[in-house]
Order: sequence, then C-alpha cells, then structure tokens
Amino acid sequence: MDPKPIPFEIHPSSGMPIYRQLIDQVHALIAGEKLSEGDLLPSVRRVAQAASINPMTVSKAYSRLEAEGIVARVRGQGMRVLKPVPAGTREQRQQQFRQLAKQALHRALQLGLTDAEIQEVLNTLLDQVSAVGNDGHPGTTAPPPTNS
Amino acid sequence: MIQINQLQKSFNDKKVLNGIDLEVAPGTVLGLLGKNGSGKSTLIKCALGLLRSTGGTATILGDDAWHLSAATKARLGYVPQEVVSYPWMRVRQVIAYTAAFYPTWNHALVDQLCRQWQLPLEDRVGPLSVGQLQTLGIVLALGHEPDLLILDEPVASLDPSARRHFLQTLIEIIDQPNRTVLFSTHITSDLERVATQLAILREGQISFHGELDELKERVKRLHINSRQELPQSFAVPGALHCEVEGAAATVSVANFNEQLVDQMRTTWNADIAVHDLSLEDIFIELHE
Repeated sequence: MDPKPIPFEIHPSSGMPIYRQLIDQVHALIAGEKLSEGDLLPSVRRVAQAASINPMTVSKAYSRLEAEGIVARVRGQGMRVLKPVPAGTREQRQQQFRQLAKQALHRALQLGLTDAEIQEVLNTLLDQVSAVGNDGHPGTTAPPPTNS
Repeated sequence: MIQINQLQKSFNDKKVLNGIDLEVAPGTVLGLLGKNGSGKSTLIKCALGLLRSTGGTATILGDDAWHLSAATKARLGYVPQEVVSYPWMRVRQVIAYTAAFYPTWNHALVDQLCRQWQLPLEDRVGPLSVGQLQTLGIVLALGHEPDLLILDEPVASLDPSARRHFLQTLIEIIDQPNRTVLFSTHITSDLERVATQLAILREGQISFHGELDELKERVKRLHINSRQELPQSFAVPGALHCEVEGAAATVSVANFNEQLVDQMRTTWNADIAVHDLSLEDIFIELHE
C-alpha cells in the first residue's frame, strides 16, 4: 500500500530555496484550511523520500515554522499545527502587504499622483473591498500589481 | 571530515589546482560544480590520495591523503567517474569479492540495491553497459556503509529513473547522522535536491563555497524599467552582468537584498522586478 501522498509540490530548480517553498506551502495550506489545528505535518523522512530532497532541508523548514509559532514539535509524533494564524503572525502579514503596497506606491508616483490622490484612491478601494464583506479567503494573497 | 589547505596539482607545467582551500564538516552533503576541465576529478583524486598533490595538504578523516590508514579506508566509499571492475567476473562474484574486504558489509542493503536497480547478478561484468557499471560501482561503494562517501559524477551515465533511484538511496544514507557526502556533478537539479552546501571550482580555485540556499537568496536577476533613459553612469554595486537599453536594464547581482532594490527604485525612478534563478542559471551567471 502506498503511504498517504504529501501535500507539497516541490520544484528544486525554481530559484526559491526548497525550505522556503515548504514554509510557503504550509502557510498556504493552513490559510486554505487544508491543514487545521491539531493536524500533523508529514514526517521529515516521508517528505524527503516522496519529494526526493535532502531531509535536512525539510528539517530546516519545519524548524523555521516552529520558530514562527505555526507548528509545535510533539515528542514522538512530529510537527503539530497550532491554532491557525491565517498567514503568519501579524507582523509577517504586515510585511507581506508592505511589499505589495511599496510596488503600487512606486507606480503611483511614476504616474504623477499626489500624496492626497494616492490616499483618496486607497480609501475608496478600502471602502469597496470592506463592503464586499468577509467572504474572501483570509489567507489568499492578492495578485501582485501588474508590471505592464 | 575533509580538510584541504592550499592544495596544488600540476601535470608537467599545466597547473590544474592552484591553491584549493576546502573544509567539509561531518553531516555535510557537498556538491562540487565546475566546468569541464576545471579540476573536479583531480581535486577528488588528490583528496583521496589517488594522485599525489604538488603542494599544500589534504587530510581525510584525520589522515594525510597520501598515507591513508586501513582504518580510514574502511570508512571511505568512492565511486570514480569511470568504474573499473573485473570483466571476467560475474556481478554476483564482484560483490562477494568486494564484501570480503569489509567486516561491516551490509548484505541486506546490497541485495536491496541490486533489486532496486535491477543489476543482472549472473551476468559477467565485461559486457555491462556504462550505466550498469556505474550502478555497480555505487553499490560497491555503499556496501560497507561508509562515513564519508565521495562520488565523481555518479549519475552521468544513468537514465532519469536510475538517477532518481540513486537520489532516493542517497537520501536514505544522509538521513543517518554524520554521514558525509561529497559529489561532483553537472546535473544541477540533482544537486539542488540533495546538497546542503555547494563548492564551485573555477580555474583551479574554489570560487564559491557555502550554503546552496544562501547562494539562491543572494544571486538574483533584476529587470529595471525606468521612467526616463538610464544614464551612461548607470551601475549597480555588486553586479555580475548589466545590460542597458534606453530606459530598461537587466542586471544580475550576487548580493541581493531588499534595501538595494528599494534604493535603486528611488535612485533610478524605476519599476524593478526581481527574478529567482535556478542553480543552472546561477552557474552560468557566475561563469560567463
């Protein structure tokens, strides 16, 4: 019998280090409620074998997730998902948004908008998005602003 | 496990290794990359005492490479680029012959590997294909479960499925603590899967040695689009390559960080997109 497939999709030749891919995917799985509080992550050995990657890389990703407070090491069992924080800590979520906002602001300045105009656009958008309600997925990342 | 200091090797008046410094700690999986003729095999052979270096020192498991003790040799596994065996023997006999040298030979492991790789145990070694011979070489190097495994392009002749089997075996080996592996390869995707560290050999010297993740986080390609023509003076500190055309530029950097990019956005009034690079791309960026 084949063991349960691992929920990760690893691309070794993507420029993103493998441990980062694992961390991102655990975040995404939690945000998408594919992993919930109390679930165990697949064992380091299982992930290493299934994805043909170095077990140390998997350990590194799991240790970082532990340090972030996403999972906790449970003796004899492995890594257990803690109470979900949608996409990382508050600070991390802010940081993620800051990256996106920075690019958008830069474009706004290129377009010659004034600070007041930028504020106005942001406020309007915020009103619109909030009005739609909370039925959007909390953890899904908004698409980055187009670069065209 | 391996300590190499200022290692030199010349063949007649041709300098192949020109002052190599390299240290490999226990538990490391080190991938050795370099162009053809960069000296990878020479370095491995000098480190194993199969070639006598012309300067500097190489120490392996505490022994000088040229004077390896039997105890050290028993802890070493080596797969040469071209596996040489006894053409008149059957595969089964070569395995039994090699096993007899090692008190710690793991017969169960070897049986399992032979099955996994479908080695024809009753065939003679002579007519084996290059790939089969390489597989046999790997099995022979793993049988005594060495602490230090050195592989010189172990998968060059293997098909993708055999290569994946090899990686799986390697992953099982390194899953045990303090197993150390050094392997040279041209197949960067294999290296990305299993190596924790990377050393790049260039013109007889180590041009990079460090964590693979760190290298990937440091080397990036930036696509820059400015609102105005970029000036003649356009330059990026730490750039490996820089191509400028009008208001656009493509720059690869070896010291990427967010601050650098923010600074560039402001300085050049530009949109900057950051692209991750595969190890293959990075290798080419560092060599062209």
